[in-house]
Amino acid sequence: MAGHVVGHGGAGAGDVRADMLAALPRLRRFCEGLCRKAGDGDELMQATVERALARSHQFVPGTRVDSWLFRIAQNMFIDDRRRDRRRGTHVPVDEMITLAGDDGRDVVEHRSELAMVYRALDQLPADQRAAFLLVAVEGQSYREAAEILDIPQGTVMSRLARARARIATILDAPDAISDSGVQ
Amino acid sequence: MTMSDVFGREDRLSAWLDGALDPAQAAAFDRDLAADPEFARQAAQWRANDLRIATALSAATERPMPAATLDLLATPAANDNPRRRVWFVAGLGAIAATLVLVFVQRPVAQDPLSLALDRTPSLADAVLPGGRHIVPALTAQARDGRWCREYREGGAVALACRGGNGVWHDEARGAGTAPEASAEIAVASGADDAVLDPAFRRLGTGDAVDAATEARLIAGHWGK
Repeated sequence: MAGHVVGHGGAGAGDVRADMLAALPRLRRFCEGLCRKAGDGDELMQATVERALARSHQFVPGTRVDSWLFRIAQNMFIDDRRRDRRRGTHVPVDEMITLAGDDGRDVVEHRSELAMVYRALDQLPADQRAAFLLVAVEGQSYREAAEILDIPQGTVMSRLARARARIATILDAPDAISDSGVQ
Repeated sequence: MTMSDVFGREDRLSAWLDGALDPAQAAAFDRDLAADPEFARQAAQWRANDLRIATALSAATERPMPAATLDLLATPAANDNPRRRVWFVAGLGAIAATLVLVFVQRPVAQDPLSLALDRTPSLADAVLPGGRHIVPALTAQARDGRWCREYREGGAVALACRGGNGVWHDEARGAGTAPEASAEIAVASGADDAVLDPAFRRLGTGDAVDAATEARLIAGHWGK
């Protein structure tokens, strides 16, 4: 499992920045998984980094920078969803897939597989999606995921089981996907 | 079998996949799997799905980072010192070399090439004054402790190492054969750089570092 711990005592702001930089690829993957859209994922990553820098004094030395970033990203994502609900906006999953990626050729190359993955993730409730991404994709332990999501470890386990059961249904029978999606 | 039994079983399957069972629980679970081929098939399916999703999403870790995000994480010293200020302009172009960093010449302590090699991740295209372009391809450490970077410039490949004064000196240069923006260029694998092999051997460079290590070196001013 990748993850860097800033040690006790001597960790300055530069160390945190360097560790944030090292964690950036994984943060980007997590954000993209949450958003199911590359462009939105990068916006969330950028906002996460901005907030983390503004609140770097809140980082606890000796803890993992990547876990801290994941928690900030998850909280910002939830806040954004609440705002979207109030505005009543909804982007159909097909549009997300069409727009995914900054490079059109890249999207074409990976479209089929990535589209199916986005569809599977889109069908999960957000809380299950976050638990799945943290543990199954980012390799966080149940304890770490529980701390990031602020839920008991047992809840992490059951969310993962439900997520995997739902994913299996979708990937085995993609035609059965609901158009409504789950935000 | 009750619904709670079903959920409990799938919870344990998830925990087994995640290595979250203790040894005794894992051994008991292994026995359950061996006794139930359908359950074993489900376990294999879930594991394969995890891998499929992780693989698809991992493309996100391989694309060059947005310059705006990298700029945010540049150390305050680098941003605040006008003698070392760097202007980043992001652009997405060819498949691999999609990040363009423009280095505007100011009264700098370092020459533009050194500044570019100090600040540009591998795969990114650095634009120097006069329209000169370089694309770093890999980073490795020489036996004497210096950091060295292979980079491409047009049709040429070069290997430069960083001196204690922050100036990068070319140790070797020659004709390369891969296009500048080739998707073959990667942090841990150079393009056709055979012309540089004697210099690599002379310097005793180790393996190329991975992207995360390189990012830390850039952020930390190469250990300065």
